Amino acid sequence: MDFIVAGFLKAIELLISFDPSTWTAVSATIKVSTFSMLISLATGLPCGFVLGYLDFRWKRALRTILDTLLALPTVTVGLLVYALISSQGPLGEYQLLFTLTGIAIGQTILAFPIVTAITASIVENIDPELKLTLVSLGAGKKNIIVTCLWEVRYGILAAAVTAYGRVLTEVGISMMVGGNIKYHTRTITTAIALETNKGLFANGIALGIVLLGIAFTVNLSLSFLRKQ
Amino acid sequence: MTRTSYEIGHIQHYYGDKKVLDIDQLKILQGSITGLSGPNGSGKSTLLKIMAFAMKPSFGQVKFKGRKETPFSPRIRSRISLLTQKPYLLKRTVFENISYGLKIRKDLNNLENRVKDSLETVGLDFQEFAQRKWHELSGGEAQRVAMAARLILKPEVLLLDEPVASVDNKSASLIRKASLAARNDWGCTLVIASHDLQWLYECSDTRISMARGRIFSTGTENIIPPPYDLSLKNQPVKALDKGEHILLPLTDKKDGTAVIQTEKISISNEKKGNRKFNNQATGVILSMLLEKSSNHIMTTIQVGDFSLNLSFSPGKAEELGLQPGKKIILMFRSKDIEWR
Repeated sequence: MDFIVAGFLKAIELLISFDPSTWTAVSATIKVSTFSMLISLATGLPCGFVLGYLDFRWKRALRTILDTLLALPTVTVGLLVYALISSQGPLGEYQLLFTLTGIAIGQTILAFPIVTAITASIVENIDPELKLTLVSLGAGKKNIIVTCLWEVRYGILAAAVTAYGRVLTEVGISMMVGGNIKYHTRTITTAIALETNKGLFANGIALGIVLLGIAFTVNLSLSFLRKQ
Repeated sequence: MTRTSYEIGHIQHYYGDKKVLDIDQLKILQGSITGLSGPNGSGKSTLLKIMAFAMKPSFGQVKFKGRKETPFSPRIRSRISLLTQKPYLLKRTVFENISYGLKIRKDLNNLENRVKDSLETVGLDFQEFAQRKWHELSGGEAQRVAMAARLILKPEVLLLDEPVASVDNKSASLIRKASLAARNDWGCTLVIASHDLQWLYECSDTRISMARGRIFSTGTENIIPPPYDLSLKNQPVKALDKGEHILLPLTDKKDGTAVIQTEKISISNEKKGNRKFNNQATGVILSMLLEKSSNHIMTTIQVGDFSLNLSFSPGKAEELGLQPGKKIILMFRSKDIEWR
């Protein structure tokens, strides 16, 4: 028990003293998770809307595939992205392996099905009276899409928080695609795994506290937005 | 010359395999008030949605002011508005709900005053309600806000689908008043679907009954609605209460509706051993309403699970001692009933 308490005290010291190895991991995590969330929201929201709103032939099959991808193991995504961006892979010429961009691509693949599937479910459950009301008030197709998404904004925020939680806490992609390179591609989760293996609990706990802090800040901001 | 708002020709609509609407012809004149009555599931809401161009009929066409139109056509988008029984209020303030239609048209002139006027039309105080959120309203207030959101657009056509069915008396009265004001103020064409027959008789220029997706003229004809017992080869019947039934003519139509001209129905205070009428059914007078246009008394009579509407002159009603709650005998011949 003592080593956990000592770990907490050490964690506070590392954070206050701006320990470079701790803060570069924090910076890398924020960069890749923000990038991957922006891309997955920009692509997942319209795809989810189309999937939830329109009826087309392969809709059910597509939903099944998407729902399966919600349980996508991070190491599988890591493997796939590794194969794609390694020097022998089709995207090898872009030299993305062991870069933050490579990790962000993997995390986008992880978050996209979450954002899309949850948005589709929310849109499917929109009150049918909403569309009728909008048509009655003279809304065109574009107005209907924008207003429908705005009406289900709290559900979409929940989708974003869920996807962000998954991206923030994954280890497999960051480890396999990023390579856990100190001061470069080391993220909070890969750093915690490494420090714990080395027996350096204080560093691990410090990073764990930061990870929780980021999650708390994101949720607090969303809660504030919801109140507005 | 009176112009036509709608010309509906040979429309049919299906939900899956089920035919829910089958209308050969319907014309609605500009500036008129059309009352639409009929039991639940008779196709009133589907017809109004098609008239609002919120959906396309499976077959047939709807012309608005002489031109065939389709959903989202820019020409009709700002001219026709539909208010349903339980309208959706956007998850915003009352002000934002009412101004939504004007904002998407980028018509922002004098917005606050226009919202204020439309709120006042439905009896809501601007100061008290404008900044309230959608969840801070009662059912009647929400319906009035939805009505105000449509009135502010000054539509050429206002389609009202059971607008007062689930609101309190005060809200119902204000909604009725506001809809009439729309016709009087800017010549709005109104089509009102309602179970409130008194309101329909009071305000409408034309009344239409619906059953099984078909339309019938109220006043001149009455529907004897399904279900029918067609299992007897020699005589189809409509079962009533207490062992009574109405004998219907033979038919080959499986989904036909039995209709009788009002003039073919006689009434009496007691059953007669008269062979002329092979149908003598007991009915109870539900309501008696003065019809403004004809100065006749429209009498609604409950017979079994349906009601018939008969019109009497005040003298005839007095002679027969008609009053709500009174039992009377309706007499008519089965051969006068038509299948449609």
